[in-house]
Amino acid sequence: MLTIDQLREMGVQPEDGLKRCMDDENFYLTLVKMVPGDAGFQNLEMALGEQNLDAAFEAAHALKGVLGNLSLTPLYEPVQEITELLRNRTEMDYTPLLETILEQRKILEGLCG
Amino acid sequence: MRTRFNRTLDIRRTILIADDEMINRQILIHKLGRFYDTIEAATGRETLEKIREHRADLSLIMLDLNMPDGTGYDVLREMQEDEEIKRIPVIVLTSEAQAEIESLQLGAVDFLEKGKDMPEVVVARVKRSIELAEDTMIIRSTEDDELTGLYNRKYFFEYAKLLRRSDPEQEMDAIAMNVERFHIVNEIYGRQFGDTVLIKLADIARKILNISGGLAARSEADTFFIYCRHLEDHELLQEIIREGLQGMEHAAKVRVRVGVYPKAPPEISLEDQFDRALSACHSIRNDLTRQIACYDEALHEEQMFEERLVGDFEQAVSEDQISVYFQPQFLIPQESQPILASAEALVRWDHPELGQLRPNRFVPTFERNGLISRLDHQVWRKAAQHMRAWKERYGMTYPISINISRIDLFDDELEDTLSGLIEEFGLDPSEYRLEITESAYAEDSRQLAEKIQRLKDRGFTIEMDDFGSGYSSLNALTELPLDVLKMDIKFARQLTGDQNSHKMISIIMEIAEWLSASTIAEGIETEEQLNVFRSLGCDLAQGYYFSKPLTAEEFEALFCRYLPKEGKAC
Repeated sequence: MLTIDQLREMGVQPEDGLKRCMDDENFYLTLVKMVPGDAGFQNLEMALGEQNLDAAFEAAHALKGVLGNLSLTPLYEPVQEITELLRNRTEMDYTPLLETILEQRKILEGLCG
Repeated sequence: MRTRFNRTLDIRRTILIADDEMINRQILIHKLGRFYDTIEAATGRETLEKIREHRADLSLIMLDLNMPDGTGYDVLREMQEDEEIKRIPVIVLTSEAQAEIESLQLGAVDFLEKGKDMPEVVVARVKRSIELAEDTMIIRSTEDDELTGLYNRKYFFEYAKLLRRSDPEQEMDAIAMNVERFHIVNEIYGRQFGDTVLIKLADIARKILNISGGLAARSEADTFFIYCRHLEDHELLQEIIREGLQGMEHAAKVRVRVGVYPKAPPEISLEDQFDRALSACHSIRNDLTRQIACYDEALHEEQMFEERLVGDFEQAVSEDQISVYFQPQFLIPQESQPILASAEALVRWDHPELGQLRPNRFVPTFERNGLISRLDHQVWRKAAQHMRAWKERYGMTYPISINISRIDLFDDELEDTLSGLIEEFGLDPSEYRLEITESAYAEDSRQLAEKIQRLKDRGFTIEMDDFGSGYSSLNALTELPLDVLKMDIKFARQLTGDQNSHKMISIIMEIAEWLSASTIAEGIETEEQLNVFRSLGCDLAQGYYFSKPLTAEEFEALFCRYLPKEGKAC
């Protein structure tokens, strides 16, 4: 079962996220468990695969909101980075950043069981 | 016990949370669910559907900008165009500075930064936004006149002041508009029709605003105020009014009057500007030839003059400046010379600075402000005093008619006051005749008929003054116990060789006969006029042909000439 400590070990600083959930740990963890299944990851991957930077920006931006809300730092940081790059429609290879994101997602998924 | 409604505690409000990310929605619901009922939407289209479905009880919308199937901007734009949902406050959920500006421009009231704002802040801002929106709504609902949707008087002046301050260089007009004898329109055609007229007038005001901008209000009853950029073309104004009433039932019976204070100087308070516009509007009361009057220097002076008269009234009474003149009335039998029969008591004001004032200079003013009643009492008493003196000197008096103003008829003590005077001066009520102007009869004929009957029961003779000036219906006449019809002065003035003018007089004679009332012709100035009235069977006549109004002493001298030989010597 997912715990706050496990999240801390992963690098998450859950304090703000918890506060936003009125310090209700169970509720917070329930929401965190929903993150790996968020359609945003798939949307981002697909859009980047199609070189559709507009759609990729929208997907990244939406994800950033959710991750920020829950203070999932290790995921939030690369997503924020890719969002800013996509905001300017920067022509570049997004693969390494995407991989980091997907890797962190996998770790979280593992924790969630 | 609480005596005030606590808005925060007593109602559980509903909030719509629109975000395509379920996790974001859940966080907000978790925060706000303790205080509010929540509804969710995940796309732009769903958001609009939910807003429309719950429009009656939705207190706030929390709106994400990036949603599929219609963005938050699309939602804001749609809301702006729909009056029914425009009032619902929206807090935009965003993290972009540029988005915040655009959202505020599109009508959002506030924004929250996703993932940044803490629960206390979110809850407080939600609460505050709802309060502000509700306060605004409450204020708006008190701003408007319920019937017409225009501003009410109070808010009109507040906003007009702001408008003036925002552009002090702009030349503005203060316009007042009302309906001639609106209470009678209401009485004859019913209140519902009256309301229709008011709504039409509000539409007319709006059309004027379409042309010259500004603000409009229903100030009270049938009076509308319009504050707008200077309008040079008054024909256009008349056209708007004409078009506005076109097609309305009884449109011909509704006379709209307009008073304009053009280019009203900004140093004059708005309240005074509209008082002046209104006095211009009142200045064309009963004047069918004019629909629009402007406030100008002449009107200003007239108003100042009126104010002076009102101010001087107390002194006039205390220093005995009010005197009574007598306009002799003659019997005009067909086969013999006219014979003095009676007189009408007329008021004069011997003003120490303005000289002698005739009633047309001050009676209309006093009728408007109610002082007429005190003036009437003065005249009644003075007339009775003279009659008493003649009775003592000659053992008789001619009957004298005194004027009863409309306002006197609403005085519950009128009968007692008049009977008291008769008793005090030892007169007979048959000698003391009461003239009531025709326009008074149009007010509430039943109440009036009862009043007049009570006066008749006390023995007074009732004369209807200005008969034929246009207000009484034949129906009302049958209810009124009248003794004398006094024909309006216009019948003598308009008398020509034309048979039609004679015909009108004949008709009045027939009406009088049918009512068993006698008739008096007023304003007889020539022998020709006298002959016409005499030949048509009129009983009595008065006017300059016989005599101008006389002082009590002059009337007494005339009086003596007609006394029977065996009467006391003059």
